Amino acid sequence: MRHALAAYFVLLVGFLILPLIFLVPISLSASQFLEFPPTSLSLRWYAAFFSDQSWVSAAILSFRVGIGATIISLVFGTLASIALVRGHFPGKGLLTALFIAPLILPTVVLALALYIVFLRWQLVDNVLALTLAHAIVALPYVVMIVSSSLRRFDTTIERAARVLGAGPIKAFLLVTLPYLVPSMFAAGILAFFASFDELIITLFVSGGAQTLPVRIWNDLGFKLDPTVPAVAVMLTALSIVGMGIGELIRRRNEQRYQSATPPEA
Amino acid sequence: MNMKRPIILLLLAPAVVLIGLLFVLPLFGVMRLSIHDGTGFSVSPILELFNSRVALVVLERTFLLAASVTAMCLLLGYPAAYFMSGLRPKVRAFVTYLILLPFWVSILIRTYTWIVILGREGIVNKGLAALGLAPVQVLYTDTAVHIGMIQILLPIVIITCLASMLDIEKDLLKAARSLGASRTQVFWKVFFPLSVSGAATGGLICFILSLGFFVTPALLGGRRSIIIANLIDLQVHQTLNWGFAAVLATALLVVTLSCLGLFWLVMRKRVEFTGAGLGR
Repeated sequence: MRHALAAYFVLLVGFLILPLIFLVPISLSASQFLEFPPTSLSLRWYAAFFSDQSWVSAAILSFRVGIGATIISLVFGTLASIALVRGHFPGKGLLTALFIAPLILPTVVLALALYIVFLRWQLVDNVLALTLAHAIVALPYVVMIVSSSLRRFDTTIERAARVLGAGPIKAFLLVTLPYLVPSMFAAGILAFFASFDELIITLFVSGGAQTLPVRIWNDLGFKLDPTVPAVAVMLTALSIVGMGIGELIRRRNEQRYQSATPPEA
Repeated sequence: MNMKRPIILLLLAPAVVLIGLLFVLPLFGVMRLSIHDGTGFSVSPILELFNSRVALVVLERTFLLAASVTAMCLLLGYPAAYFMSGLRPKVRAFVTYLILLPFWVSILIRTYTWIVILGREGIVNKGLAALGLAPVQVLYTDTAVHIGMIQILLPIVIITCLASMLDIEKDLLKAARSLGASRTQVFWKVFFPLSVSGAATGGLICFILSLGFFVTPALLGGRRSIIIANLIDLQVHQTLNWGFAAVLATALLVVTLSCLGLFWLVMRKRVEFTGAGLGR
């Protein structure tokens, strides 16, 4: 029974990571058509990405919007998390639910809603407006991660700083903020990829401007462009590197705070 | 720690303004559009929904697809989570990492890979041809949509099920064994009832997310596989009928919120249940 379950589990994990396994060899194919296994290997589709202006400009737009949305959601979300965790006020639960709602509600509903107001406000094809829309999608990650980290923070350390003469703002900036940095970094990475991956809202409100997902989407309607696997491999590598850095920072911080705080009795 | 009201307001203001202007207000706009025909309030857009055969067919299909994907995710995911709950913590952490790995690849890309794998000239059919078998048409059918959606949603269901299984007090299982229950009895009388709430939570999240799927049905399904999100897109970009798109979007919103309400009720009940259990 146990062995049967184990065999089943291996098959299931295989199914889950199957699409990832095929991606790298497909992207290295020298052929003009998608084939597996590739008959000969080359980096031509990676080169094709960098020599095609429309791919490069889509990547640049994605980075611009992604970085902007990350900064906005990180700043707004962290400030809101402080109030949500430390403040007492009516409607807190409702507000938390509202900040997290964009994660659960069907994106197409929000896409249509934003399209209608953006048309009225003449914000279609406006990069700043697109960035703000992406910040909405990224905000839930920041609020969830930063507030859960803030909830675990031992406030006696901050109180000690206050007792030693630091003002409330100084105590927060010098004591609590450094503790929050790793979770903010993790939240930032998730926020960035939420934006970087966003397709539907962009499709509705960007008015023809192409981010990477929109560029891929527009291609898929007609043909299977072999540049796509190359892009996919680069994007995946990027996210794995980002995750790795985040994990390193988290571990270092954990050690620091573990040695700094005596274990509770 | 006590915070003063003005400081709380100041901290919340940026996020509240953002979410108010670009989330709450637009959503109310869509809902208003669905009970408004341009000149005044009317029920005609809603009547249009119930008179449109296409809309009703697509709504029904959306429901059935979400239900069958959820059922399959639970059937596939529960045993997997059960297996993981019995692993040593270090092994379990590694396996969890493997299961969450696909999250780092964009949904668009994953769907694209299925096209390459399942297509007429795809990997599966080439393999079949090499074995001397006839090719199968999987791409652009509901089967392909199911495969694509399950690959995306299954990790969520597994992790949710696993979380509730790990919460189960191991002593309860041992107690049942020592009182003479067989392994099967321990599973069905103790383990399963205690883990069912996690499975229900996972199933509901899966169902809600399935209702809003867009990319997978559009790329892996045929013309008969489009669901409500695709229909909304068509109404906006092809038919230019925003009013109708707004009605469809409102319908989707109402269904999602109802599911969330149900979810909340289930969760609240569960907290009361566990709370009472701990109290004793």
